[in-house]
Amino acid sequence: MLSVRDLCVSFRTEQGVLRAIDHVSFDVEAGEILGVVGESGSGKTVSLLAVMGLINDPNATVTGSIRFKGRELVGLKPSDLRKLRGRDMAMIFQDPMTALTPVYTIGTQIAEQITTHQNISKRAALDRAVQLLAEVNIPKPEEAISRYPHQLSGGMRQRAVIAMALSNNPSLLIADEPTTALDVTVQAQILDLVRKLQREHKSSVVFITHDMGVIAEIADHVMVMYAGRIAERANKAEIFRRPLHPYTRALLDSIPPLRGPRPPRLRAIPGAPPSLLHRTEACAFAPRCAKKIEICSLKPALRGTEHEVACHVVNHG
Amino acid sequence: MADFLYVARNVSKHFFVGSRFSSQGLRTVHAVDDVSLEISQGETLGLVGESGCGKSTLGRCLARLYDVTYGALNFDGKDIAGLSNRGLRPLRAKLQMVFQDPSASLNPRRRVKDLIAEPLRIHTRMTKPQIAVRVAELLNEVGLLPDHAERFPHEFSGGQRQRIGIARAIALNPKMLILDEPVSALDVSVQAQIVNLLAGLQEKLGLTYVFVAHDLSVVRQVSTRIAVMYLGSIVEIGPAEDIFANPRHPYTQALISAVPEPDPSAKRNRIILQGDVPSPVNPPSGCRFHPRCPYAQAKCKIERPALLAEAKGRQVACHFPLSNG
Repeated sequence: MLSVRDLCVSFRTEQGVLRAIDHVSFDVEAGEILGVVGESGSGKTVSLLAVMGLINDPNATVTGSIRFKGRELVGLKPSDLRKLRGRDMAMIFQDPMTALTPVYTIGTQIAEQITTHQNISKRAALDRAVQLLAEVNIPKPEEAISRYPHQLSGGMRQRAVIAMALSNNPSLLIADEPTTALDVTVQAQILDLVRKLQREHKSSVVFITHDMGVIAEIADHVMVMYAGRIAERANKAEIFRRPLHPYTRALLDSIPPLRGPRPPRLRAIPGAPPSLLHRTEACAFAPRCAKKIEICSLKPALRGTEHEVACHVVNHG
Repeated sequence: MADFLYVARNVSKHFFVGSRFSSQGLRTVHAVDDVSLEISQGETLGLVGESGCGKSTLGRCLARLYDVTYGALNFDGKDIAGLSNRGLRPLRAKLQMVFQDPSASLNPRRRVKDLIAEPLRIHTRMTKPQIAVRVAELLNEVGLLPDHAERFPHEFSGGQRQRIGIARAIALNPKMLILDEPVSALDVSVQAQIVNLLAGLQEKLGLTYVFVAHDLSVVRQVSTRIAVMYLGSIVEIGPAEDIFANPRHPYTQALISAVPEPDPSAKRNRIILQGDVPSPVNPPSGCRFHPRCPYAQAKCKIERPALLAEAKGRQVACHFPLSNG
């Protein structure tokens, strides 16, 4: 479905070249939910923005290969990309207002999305919008289409955006922290909805989040990113049962438990994520890693078949 | 009452929205609605709830950043609800606040040493050299290096900035800190550092905390007791582990069950609440949770349950509390 090879994204800044994504390769198979987890600056969002062709900053350079359904997207004309986006692939963001304009009704905005890509009348598109809103569990969808975004709550807006993203039955849906701004009870509703829709539409989903709990709920496969590189990748059960990369382990260890006795202190990871401006050839996690050895001053390759990990200590030790 | 450091009685905070001349008139938001609680010396009281439940507003009322509309606040044996701004000054030294976004509470044009020294200059008669010594002490206390003193806030990461905010809050040896979402803006890998720092400071300095947060696993970790808020009122309060193991209020149960657990093999009954939190301008009748409650009965629509004491220091406001072992 989607195959990304050697993706690099750099930005020219006043302080020098910032390599946000450093040789990242991954695949998304048909009908799977890939969870991408990482902290701010780990490159989880930028890599998927590149897939959507949404990096059009004049200071940005995107290299590598992104093949979607066999078609190369890097270097594709903007007009061709526009035809793909919204029809074959769609993206939802943390803040639903990035995708909604405050001056049109929800119905008009969803209908516009449909008429842009399909040859149907506005009236038929509006009827379809009502169906879609019903599908994402918005109560009274006939009334909701004539509402403006500000008249809806945060959870309802996110549902409307999901409805909009699904309006042309995309085969790939990219969800960038869609539940981070929501309360846990609403987050539970949205996660439920994404799973249900993914089953019904059989689309592939890339779900970006910083929350290991959300990953455990929703993903089939998990990709852990750190400082613009992939640290570890495996199916969900493997990642949680047998985390190999020291970063993945430390991340899981630092989360306070929800049940059982409370530890007197949490096992925190020392330090902070590195600056991407002055990249070295070393493993990016080495400065914070408790298992660091000499060879960690060289960049580790991602190795393994089913369970891949980029760590010298694990691969050689 | 003598055993408690802080006692709040029937505290309400109303805000007014709209205009007297608009079509809907001037409307009252009952942000905090008749809350009573006691806080013991040295404990951490966690305040949790969804956005708009009034937990931050309550925190700010307790710190007297807001005037309360009704109610009594007694801190360290003194009534502080009616104090004027001038009268509040000595209180500020004893009762400090730490905010979610450290960059918003640190002046970007001042050096770290000046930011931390500011409360010392205002509240004490310390000389410049004395202040410098104290600032160095505080930097060390919160895990920053001595040469960080000369730098500006933008040179620090989010976690380090929160450390600066904490150093400033403890500069005057307060008795109590009100922490409003102190780790919510931080990266997951840094959150644990700050949680540990706060726990260490509490032990060393004998601090009392009110910890306001929406992240339930963090609140469970840090709190002695937890108060769960819904639409401006406390619906349940009790010892932290106890509340998680045996929630008595249906809202507490649903809230805890909604937290995604980083363990795909965990078996649990997820209760998915329908709908959103109703508007505090126009709260529902009776029990405010009844429109979303899976166990609501006729009585819940009419009569508002009071927060009643139970065994093991717990209190719950529900006509039909859950009895799950």
